[in-house]
Amino acid sequence: MLENLQLGFETAVSPDNLLWCFIGVLLGTVIGMLPGLGSATGVAILLPVTLGMEPVTALIMLAGIYYGSQYGASISSILISTPGDSSSVVLTLDGYQMARKGRAGAALAISAMSSFFAAIISLIGLIALAAPVAAFALRFGPPENLAIILLGLATIVSFAGENMLRGIIMAAVGLLISMIGVASGFATARFTFGSINLLSGLGFIAVLIGLFAIGEVLHQIHRGGEKPIKAGFKDLIVTKSELRRSFMPAARGTGLGFALGVLPGAGATLASFMSYGVEKSFSKFRKEIGQGAPEGVAAPEASNNAAANASFIPTLSLGIPGSGTTAILLGAFIIFGVQPGPLLFEQQPALVWGLLVSFFIGNLFLIVLNLPLAPVFAQILRLPYSYLYPIILFISLIGAFAIGNNTFALWVVLVAGVLGYFMKRFDFPAAPLVLGLVLGPLLEKYLVQTSSLGQGSWSIMFSSPIASVFTTGAILALIGPPVAGIIRRMRNSKKSGRTDKTRV
Amino acid sequence: MVSKTTQPERKKPATSDVVGTAILGAVGAFALIMGFGYGFLEEDGQVGPGFLPVITGAFILAASLTEIARMYLAHGERSTSSFMGLAETVEEEAKAAVGRTGEPDEEEVDTFGRTSSERNWAIVKVFALLFVALLLIPVIGLLLSLTAMVLAIVLWVERKPLLPGVLTTIGALAVAYSIFVLALGVPVPQGILGLI
Repeated sequence: MLENLQLGFETAVSPDNLLWCFIGVLLGTVIGMLPGLGSATGVAILLPVTLGMEPVTALIMLAGIYYGSQYGASISSILISTPGDSSSVVLTLDGYQMARKGRAGAALAISAMSSFFAAIISLIGLIALAAPVAAFALRFGPPENLAIILLGLATIVSFAGENMLRGIIMAAVGLLISMIGVASGFATARFTFGSINLLSGLGFIAVLIGLFAIGEVLHQIHRGGEKPIKAGFKDLIVTKSELRRSFMPAARGTGLGFALGVLPGAGATLASFMSYGVEKSFSKFRKEIGQGAPEGVAAPEASNNAAANASFIPTLSLGIPGSGTTAILLGAFIIFGVQPGPLLFEQQPALVWGLLVSFFIGNLFLIVLNLPLAPVFAQILRLPYSYLYPIILFISLIGAFAIGNNTFALWVVLVAGVLGYFMKRFDFPAAPLVLGLVLGPLLEKYLVQTSSLGQGSWSIMFSSPIASVFTTGAILALIGPPVAGIIRRMRNSKKSGRTDKTRV
Repeated sequence: MVSKTTQPERKKPATSDVVGTAILGAVGAFALIMGFGYGFLEEDGQVGPGFLPVITGAFILAASLTEIARMYLAHGERSTSSFMGLAETVEEEAKAAVGRTGEPDEEEVDTFGRTSSERNWAIVKVFALLFVALLLIPVIGLLLSLTAMVLAIVLWVERKPLLPGVLTTIGALAVAYSIFVLALGVPVPQGILGLI
């Protein structure tokens, strides 16, 4: 472990990597802060810019954008009650209320410190767990790999909550998009309708740029832009009482965020909602939560950062993305010729440990940037969206072209953009679609191999304990929530029936 | 006498939402049918190239139909006792708080000064400009068509003053040219005109 960390340190502190790590977290902070961008959009748009870099440098920068945006997103939530990213939506409750009470600076400071605390703790967890999980996964054969992909898809769908059906639809649409072109393991062209451009499938990045960048721009126009900053702030000094009250919620948020982040698909947004809900239910100061309590800032902020880091565990060690943005990062790995998964730690130790160590350095940059410079960053929020979004469209389209030097990709971006806009408008979750898109080719590969091994019999999915556990887990994750919902409804209707009879 | 149970009122789903979900269901049905055409199983019982399209299409179709039924039948009741219920309640509160700056909304006019219907038109205009820009690439090249698109959005859709609009457009072109053409050496199509 120490040798690996040393190797990672040597890689991460090279001047090039340090510089791009800094640029990544700086851009991430700005991107996270700007409503209508967010980490997924930022990584998708800027991925083409990194094409000329060394893989490790590019991945350090792209990952920096991801976790940097977690910090930046909270600034806009606190100051203008408008989240830069979905994981910071919950900060519009207590963060903005603190700002209205003249404690904007303190809210920003609590948010930055909680983020930093959670990031460091979760990174220790990430470093401790990722390599052993990868080593364990080396024992996996096609049935185990197939079962774990099914589990990943089932988990993300089940965590879509009330939107579970929409989650299923979106994951399946993602899988369907990934099937366009020549089928892996077969020679059959599917859904190409005679088009040569479709034979090699739809460009992954083009679809993502369309979904996130174009779709988000159209959605923002529909929403009608953001209100200007109303809350001013004078200093970033946190009182002793605020600091004391923030510590335990941040610790609880970190634990909960890490646990949820490890699960494929649960993600930072759910983690932030959960940890806020936990504080609101169990905190000593629960009556103040919702009216500008430090607990309402510290817990969700720590939670979303911990989840963002933890989502790298399944991404790096199993090759199964833990969130929408890590799915895009997984696409970036593949573009650079690196296959995340169990073999990554053996075959690319400098890259993977360099990346992990860069997370520590990046978070140090972020706390230094965010504590004293938050007021400076806040000025960026005054940038009118009317000028910003045409530039986003420009960079998105030229970036999509640059990936494959093919104008067909631009039409893919346009169509995916319209799909992304309607998904946003009608509340269809994007993360399951991205996961389906990324996991589709792998799913089919392992499906064909498993089918071949089992000679057409599906009992092979229960042939080993590992495959049995994952397959059962996938089935339970998929059918568990609806069955539990039916039972709950039946109980509720029985209860209301009893109450009615007593009223007679 | 048995008193009436107070059920929450059923909300009528938005037609566009139902139509959108129905379209997705149709896509699922299409994939299912096409999948059988590609070959669901091989002769030895192993999966064929159509296996995954059939299963995926069936999932989309079944989930879309169930979702449409849910839209019409759901009472809008929500359980907060479950694990997800806790998160969903917070989500609703947070979504309601987004953009709520404590100041009364004067009208439905947004910060750009647009009404709801003007916003919808703005989307149509932006989409049309994107479409036209892509059509123009073979004629005037990628960079020029996208530059023209930016200028048209800023001046026509957003109605911004000429000078800031032109400066924004030139800035966008300069940044894109520096990164993609000069730094990355991307061979951008120059079109029939062959300018840049």
